[in-house]
Amino acid sequence: MEINLLAFGQLAEITGKAELRILDVKNTNELNQKLIEQYPKLVAFNYLLAVNKKIVQGNTSLNDKDTVALLPPFSGG
Amino acid sequence: MTEKKKHSVFIEGPITSAFIADSISKHSKKTTIGGHDIFLGQVRNDIIDNKTVVAIDYSTYNEMAEQKLHEIREAAFANYNLVCMHIYHSLGTVKAGEICLFVFVSSIHRKDAFDACHEIVEQIKADVPIWGKEIFEDASHVWKENKS
Repeated sequence: MEINLLAFGQLAEITGKAELRILDVKNTNELNQKLIEQYPKLVAFNYLLAVNKKIVQGNTSLNDKDTVALLPPFSGG
Repeated sequence: MTEKKKHSVFIEGPITSAFIADSISKHSKKTTIGGHDIFLGQVRNDIIDNKTVVAIDYSTYNEMAEQKLHEIREAAFANYNLVCMHIYHSLGTVKAGEICLFVFVSSIHRKDAFDACHEIVEQIKADVPIWGKEIFEDASHVWKENKS
């Protein structure tokens, strides 16, 4: 079980990488928990998660090879 | 005649006035058009903690942005009577005073163009994964956040 994690904007500065492999997380709650353990600064951040390019709300189950993106608040335009 | 042709939204660097003028002139053959509405987003030299923004460096989650922009486009054609529409957004560095967003909506009568253009701009700001890093004179930066 492996997911591909993408980090954008300020979140990429916190993780230090734009792309990471995360092992053994069954859902987005477990992923968030793992990320916060690894990057404690994330606690203070407001971000959305997109699973395979779709924004998800609440705990969402993850499958092998899913792509999860950490999206800080948008600021286009 | 409605045009739903897809083109790339993202342009590296600022959107030039020559590019905008050229886009306008390309519509002269579409003689069913009665009105265009154009929105141009310009980089502002905000002052944050006594430091002046000199440029914004834009980045995106390209695959998701393209999908969102496609949805915005489809909804605009479904909800308004449009002849054509074009969206261009900058990536990379755009200096204060330069154009970073160009939304160009054309319709038979003005109301559809006005209303659709307004809605499209709001949706781009709220729903499309694009991020702007505001760069100061001393090369330090902060991350911009859109206000609703």
